[in-house]
Amino acid sequence: MIRFEKVTKSYPGPGKPALDKVSINVDKGEFVFLVGASGSGKSTTLRLMLREDRPTSGRVYVAGKEINRLATWKVPRLRRQMGTVFQDFRLLQTKTVRDNVAFAMQVTGRSNRDIRKRVPATLELVGLADKAARLPHELSGGEQQRVAIARAMVNEPMILVADEPTGNLDPATSVDTVRLLEEINANGTTVLMATHDHGIVDQMRKRVIELEHGKVVRDEATGVYGFSH
Amino acid sequence: MPLRHVLSNLRQGLRRHLSMHVAVVLTLFVSLSLAGVGLMLTKQADLTADELGTELQVQVTLCVPDDRNPRCPTEVTDAQRAAIDQVIDDSPEVASWYEESKEESFDRIKRQFGEEQFEGPDAPFTVDDVPQTLWITLKDAEDYDGLQSALLFQDGVRDFVPAQDIVGPIFTIIDALKYAAWGAAGVLVLAAVLLVFNTIRLTALARRKEIEIMRLVGASRVFIGLPFVLEALVVAALGVGLAAGALAAFTKFAVIDWLSPRLTAIPFVGWTDYTDTLVLLAIAGPVLTVVPTLLLTRKYLRL
Repeated sequence: MIRFEKVTKSYPGPGKPALDKVSINVDKGEFVFLVGASGSGKSTTLRLMLREDRPTSGRVYVAGKEINRLATWKVPRLRRQMGTVFQDFRLLQTKTVRDNVAFAMQVTGRSNRDIRKRVPATLELVGLADKAARLPHELSGGEQQRVAIARAMVNEPMILVADEPTGNLDPATSVDTVRLLEEINANGTTVLMATHDHGIVDQMRKRVIELEHGKVVRDEATGVYGFSH
Repeated sequence: MPLRHVLSNLRQGLRRHLSMHVAVVLTLFVSLSLAGVGLMLTKQADLTADELGTELQVQVTLCVPDDRNPRCPTEVTDAQRAAIDQVIDDSPEVASWYEESKEESFDRIKRQFGEEQFEGPDAPFTVDDVPQTLWITLKDAEDYDGLQSALLFQDGVRDFVPAQDIVGPIFTIIDALKYAAWGAAGVLVLAAVLLVFNTIRLTALARRKEIEIMRLVGASRVFIGLPFVLEALVVAALGVGLAAGALAAFTKFAVIDWLSPRLTAIPFVGWTDYTDTLVLLAIAGPVLTVVPTLLLTRKYLRL
């Protein structure tokens, strides 16, 4: 589903590359934690996956396509296959929960009929059906992150990419959030979550890929965060 | 493409930076109006040149029967005419020349001085009194001394009038007004384009979160950029509309109602020239707003 082949990403200026000959393979339906300290290359990996950036060398494949060769006009189609969730939720504060979720369908040209059908179902999935008419600032952090997850999932993507989704949440809410991601994964969506939340990784016992200074230093099928290498 | 969403974005965008949009519309309105005046003055110069000749032209009239001009004891003879033609053909100062018939000359004079003066039994002269006119185009507007002395030496030549003497001052005035209009229009066009740049920057900044989400969920580039382009088109349409009104008022009140009846010697631009100018402005307006918009949305929205 996602494959990195000897991917190097250097930014202008002196210093080591952000990613250095990284090779990763994530199969369909997997749940993978991408761990590492700040500056280890987690965010760069996600940016390359979303075609927000291009590698300096090497190849990135998503859903069977080499995305660094993808024509710019085809990038939106790629992104429709991937849902994204961020630490800061990125919700539109003037729109209700329902409208925030519907927004992802409206701007990708889905019909009103589809929107009326999918939005309530997705809010049900994330447990916010009763808060559809609320504005984001009327919700807790955990609920806001659930809205962001609903928005990422409403277009039924094959892959869910989450960049530090528990970074702004308390431990209990973090566990709930990751349980929700696990549920989504159980329904067949591949989940890739970048995090440095030890507790969550240790508790979930999923596949762990650890990056350090832009290199993969660990790839374990059922790992914990702090495994010393 | 969900039209409702695009239109709602357009409405929001126009409302959000209303004062900036008004500034662009007004600047565009004034710059396009001045450019329109410049274009119409160019057309006016062409019309004046068609009627009175360009600065390169010389008007040579030939003697008529019972001519009161002391140079003309008799009407020009065939032999004299052949000699005159020969002088013109042989002159190195001449680029080209043609003969205007008496009827054409009479029509031109009637147009310049008013038809009604040449009607009825008291008309100052008829077509038969009009001298034959030769229009000579010089290679250099300043260089006609040789031709002038050669022709004035010929019998049958009534008068030698360089058009420069007549049209020179007119063209000087038209050119001065034209260049002033173009210059001011150029400065204002630059101001309008810079205002468009600023407006887009502000809009992109105000909508950065929304645009970021659109990009991430896979909205197409056209979908994200369309509200910006539509905003640019609306602003351009308003600017062109106001300029069209101002130019129409200029054409009607300044040219048709005021100048034309007072200066009958020159034909003036009219509604046809106004329409031609308007077509150019209707193209220029959207180009001035949409092109910077397309360039900047690529840069700021990473489309």
